[in-house]
Amino acid sequence: MATKSNARTATVAKKEARPPRNDKPAAASQPAAVAASASGASVELKKDQLLEMYYLLLKCRQVDERARLLFRQGKFKGNFYSAVGQEATHVGTLYGCRKTDWVGPSHRDMVAAVVKGVPTRRIIAQLYACVESPDRGKSTPAHFGDAEYNIIIPSSTIAAQWQLVTGVAFGLKMQGKDDICFAYCGDGATSTGAWHEATNFAGVHKLGCVYVVQNNLWAESVPLRLQSAAKTLADKAAGYGMPGVVVDGNDLLAVYQVAREAIRRARAGEGPTLIECKTYRWYGHSEIDPAKYRPKEEVEEWKKRDPVPRFEKVLRERGYWSDDWKKKIEAEIKAEIDDAVAFAEKSPYPDPSEATQHVYAEE
Amino acid sequence: MGQAVTFIKAINQAMHEEFERDPNLFILGEDIAEGGVFLATEGLREKFGEHRVVDSPLAEAIIVGACTGASLVGMNPIAEIQFVDFITPAMDQIVQNVAKLRYRSAGTFQPHITIRTCCGGGVGGGLFHSQDNVSWFMHEAGLKVVYPATPYDAKGLLKSCIRGKDCYLYFEHKKLYRSVKEELPDDDFTVPIGKAAVKREGKDLSIITFGYGLQVSLAAAEKMEAKHGVSCEVVDLRTLRPLDTEAILGTVRKTNRVAIVHEEKLTMGPGAEVAALIQENAFDDLDAPVMRITGPDIPKMPFSPPLEDYFMINPDKVVARLEQLAAY
Repeated sequence: MATKSNARTATVAKKEARPPRNDKPAAASQPAAVAASASGASVELKKDQLLEMYYLLLKCRQVDERARLLFRQGKFKGNFYSAVGQEATHVGTLYGCRKTDWVGPSHRDMVAAVVKGVPTRRIIAQLYACVESPDRGKSTPAHFGDAEYNIIIPSSTIAAQWQLVTGVAFGLKMQGKDDICFAYCGDGATSTGAWHEATNFAGVHKLGCVYVVQNNLWAESVPLRLQSAAKTLADKAAGYGMPGVVVDGNDLLAVYQVAREAIRRARAGEGPTLIECKTYRWYGHSEIDPAKYRPKEEVEEWKKRDPVPRFEKVLRERGYWSDDWKKKIEAEIKAEIDDAVAFAEKSPYPDPSEATQHVYAEE
Repeated sequence: MGQAVTFIKAINQAMHEEFERDPNLFILGEDIAEGGVFLATEGLREKFGEHRVVDSPLAEAIIVGACTGASLVGMNPIAEIQFVDFITPAMDQIVQNVAKLRYRSAGTFQPHITIRTCCGGGVGGGLFHSQDNVSWFMHEAGLKVVYPATPYDAKGLLKSCIRGKDCYLYFEHKKLYRSVKEELPDDDFTVPIGKAAVKREGKDLSIITFGYGLQVSLAAAEKMEAKHGVSCEVVDLRTLRPLDTEAILGTVRKTNRVAIVHEEKLTMGPGAEVAALIQENAFDDLDAPVMRITGPDIPKMPFSPPLEDYFMINPDKVVARLEQLAAY
């Protein structure tokens, strides 16, 4: 990274916050990163911002958990790809972004929309494939995109969105705008040709991209050791002439800190940054995957690093915490989700005639 | 009318004029800034700058991906795939995003792109510089597939793509680049997408074709007239998706005998779709089975001259088959 303070954060994350690699059970504790990054970011963030970040973190968690529940209750068809455990990567990177900034999510990033400010009703409606869904039921539940909020629809051909959002950044650069593009993917995506072509292109043209790899150690059932022999996935950035930063993806303030510098670079026209967030998905690849391939100890170890209580700890240490406040926001979020579910359940399916619509702009 | 220009010059002119018209127009592709392998982009960089005439890394997927993404913020991209033989790395973007993003988003995202690509054989290009591959794209709802045969159509259709709102595959048969010339109007003109044109009137049988097939078919029609007194109508499809059903059925109803001529391979080629359309809609108008005169079902165009000749359509091959059709 370009600045001194961020170089420090990156080093700290690399040395002290390294989560377990590959499919080996995790090593025990690692509290240093929280303290280090939290102190690093504290100068920037005021109390109400920190509370807002916690609120968003909790909201991501609750929206995602509700989606899982609704699927298991048979309320919607298809499948769902939970991001529970990875929410700090969304809040940490997108907190404070502009509505006009762009997001290229993967199938596991539905909750990025929560941080981008999309109303919960629109998000839940997507699950129900109803007419109130932003895509009127055309795409599958986890493929949340929303043109109103500049969120590109994911594609199941992994990293296809990585290319599109890179193209958006190319367009924005040609127009002289300083809106930027956030792209998300998992560790598996970094093996695709699409990923490398796009990342290389962004490097060549110094595009305003913040690339976020959520390395959760498993691409469906394939362990990282069979995905890449690189020491870190962030190392791949070197080949494309951009900074690559490894960060503890379950440490919200650490993610926020490295993202700030990446965002600054992107807006200033200094080019893209690749951020590797070491994180973990609590559940299977999808709701129909029991994920038996992962050692129990590994899952348990990572659950101990749950980003939500970790961030709660930060707030407590600063004297910002109140149990009543948490109860209040929990209830607020639950009410908002309840309302969204009721809204989606009332919304009709599209008329079959819509199947032939939206193929061409000019018929 | 101005002076006669070649097919490639017509394409070059279309881009020069459209770059002038639309400040959001840009082109991204391999080796284009210097003018390109065939000089399609000659003079563009000098006139409009390298920020609009952009040499891409050697990476076809991101050529298409970057252009498509840029179109989402209002840019007007031309993606050049140097040879359609090299388009395979970009297939994911073309099939999943270019063709489907509008649909997947219920029209809330409006991608627009013109993908220009050079295709076709008969110039000693060998396996990887001779493919046609147009059938792959005809299969994709969401794409429009344009395949001009004359300088006038090349210029007018390219302008229609650039000014349009959809996603276009624009095929340029390399054998046409310098072999056909035509005088073009000085004034601005476009050719509508989705409209075929009768390039030769006739009454005894119809040849439906496109691209380089038009030159072959016109020559074959002359021979049929001279040799047998058979009057052949030649219809140039110009756009392969959407097909001009009205024009296809119109010529069938006029002559009652139809041959489809193309260089693309037989099985699932453009002729298969045209033949199906005819039998579904004009079965009673047929005096003979619909005939397909096409490239053979072998993997690719082989390199050695006699092998390449075996693959290519030519007027004599077409005449030999048309004689059977006329006699049926």
